[in-house]
Amino acid sequence: MQAGSLIALVVVMIYFAIAAPGFRSFGNVANVLEQSAILGVLSFGMTIVMIGGGSNVITGGIDLSLANNLGLCAAVYASLLQSGQPDALAVFLTFFTGLSVGLLNTIAVVGLGILPLIATLAVMNICAGFELVLTQNTVIPATSPFLAALADNGPLGISYLAYIFVVLAFIFIVGVEFTPFGLRLYAVGAYREAARAAGLYVNCYIAVSYVLSGVCAAVGAILSVSLLNGSSTGSGAMLLSVVVSALLGVVFSRRFIPTITGTFLSVLFIGFLINGFQLTNVSSYWVNGVEGVLILFVVAATSLLHRVES
Amino acid sequence: MVTEFSSSAVSDNARRRSRVSSLLRYTVVLALIAVFVFLSVQAPGFLNPSNLLNILVNNFALLALVSLGMTLVVSTGGIDLSLGTSIDIGSLVFVSLISSQHQLLVALLGAVLGALAVGAFNAFLVAVLGITPFLATLGTLFIGESVQQLTTNGGQPIYLITGTLPAGFTFIGRGDLIGIPFPFYIVTVSIVGFFLLAHHTQFGRQVVALGARAGVAWYSGVRIRRISALVYILSAIICGVAGIILSSTVKAYVPLSGNAYLLDAIGATFIGTTLHPLSRPSVAGTALGVLLLSIVTNGLLLIGWNFYWQQVARGILIFAVLAVSFLNRRVQT
Repeated sequence: MQAGSLIALVVVMIYFAIAAPGFRSFGNVANVLEQSAILGVLSFGMTIVMIGGGSNVITGGIDLSLANNLGLCAAVYASLLQSGQPDALAVFLTFFTGLSVGLLNTIAVVGLGILPLIATLAVMNICAGFELVLTQNTVIPATSPFLAALADNGPLGISYLAYIFVVLAFIFIVGVEFTPFGLRLYAVGAYREAARAAGLYVNCYIAVSYVLSGVCAAVGAILSVSLLNGSSTGSGAMLLSVVVSALLGVVFSRRFIPTITGTFLSVLFIGFLINGFQLTNVSSYWVNGVEGVLILFVVAATSLLHRVES
Repeated sequence: MVTEFSSSAVSDNARRRSRVSSLLRYTVVLALIAVFVFLSVQAPGFLNPSNLLNILVNNFALLALVSLGMTLVVSTGGIDLSLGTSIDIGSLVFVSLISSQHQLLVALLGAVLGALAVGAFNAFLVAVLGITPFLATLGTLFIGESVQQLTTNGGQPIYLITGTLPAGFTFIGRGDLIGIPFPFYIVTVSIVGFFLLAHHTQFGRQVVALGARAGVAWYSGVRIRRISALVYILSAIICGVAGIILSSTVKAYVPLSGNAYLLDAIGATFIGTTLHPLSRPSVAGTALGVLLLSIVTNGLLLIGWNFYWQQVARGILIFAVLAVSFLNRRVQT
């Protein structure tokens, strides 16, 4: 199945490479990386929460506040810059905002024991509200030397946004899949009681997963302000795409569990799909539907496969 | 003597604590009363009968209908993320049939069938293919978005021209019988219907059995696939009805407008679960949850708060209600 998903990814790439001449150009690949960066960083946060919370969707780990947290952080960042604050302070406070939202989720989930699905839903509402208060539902334009540098092209004519995305992916892959911390996070998610019996501070790991997710939102916010030259309204709409890419990533792993590598591949897959559609002049209205069919197909295939095996 | 005294003090303490915590189980009701009293004092015109009716029709009705379906689905241990799609497809079919001069009855039937198709698709995914409800309905939601974008040229609303509307069209959303708006009747009938269905029929008990222990339910002879299929179809149909009322009220079909109800419906359903000792969803709990959300929305508007601050207040209120009831449950166990 893992091989099958990779083959599907390659087949789609080859198809677009033949159908759209511009698709395989180096600049286009860099472009897709840049466009996928924001969704990707958010999806990393979602993946970490899902790893630590377990796979049961209703009682397991999920962070519905991620997309609105990004919106709030972007609003904080852009309005600070607009009011003439120095870049360093703005970046610091943006991270502070993302971190606080992560902490609020932690308090709700770990401290109060509220189901993650509704706890993060309530926090999502709070974030959305504060974002509206800050922006009055308008776009706050923002420019700064730092933002300009981010959007600038680095070596090989690729923008720094794309570099940051790849570097972050690398850091998260190593941090979650090749360290004791990551292994323990998986243990907590897979069987919480067993992890506790083995002597892990279970609550600590869950707390860290939500805080990291908040940090991801802050990083995503800075990338988004840099890409769009300001804050944007309606960032909450990204939530379901984030959920889909984190869940779709499952098929790229050998044991059908959420992994950062899988999420990275699925974000790129979706990015190339959208890009390929644009280049071959297919209406972008198809993108959501294809994503939906893809996820259903993948999950149906896995569950049928499981049934055949057992 | 001393030990006896202290032990009686302990049991006294424990009794007091259990009394407090059994009271706290009704956090939703307490919050509802508190908000109601606060708004009666603070918000001018809140207690006005016309405003109370306004709450029931404009804030309560649609969310209540949608949340009823969600309650049933969550009772089976699933979730329906595609309820917005059912609302939208119901509305889309209804408005297109009306605008192409079909009879009202045909349009109503078409809308229900359209929503039913969404529910049947979910039922197929969940009950036949065995896909987890979250992913299945998420897939449906995404496909539904594309379908709507493709059929409306990227999200162009369909407006109905007032002159050509069939008799009874506006009545559905805006008419009234003996002074009470028509949607209110639909909601009342639906709530009573769902209440009886969920809590007083064999079907309802099977739904709960499925949600509590699907395996045990299966061994006991409950046809779990059929039950869960029916639940998704019912949820879609009630959303389709909400879609009909929505399009009759605004005299248009606005693509992708149903999703606005999704998170509130989840919120109301799970706020309602705090009422139940085993934290199961119930029709009464959900109705209270919806009432709380709609009263807050309406009241904050009347107080004249900035719309943006209202969102914050709503979020914090939901958070507080959840915090108190979950903390209480944790203290009890």
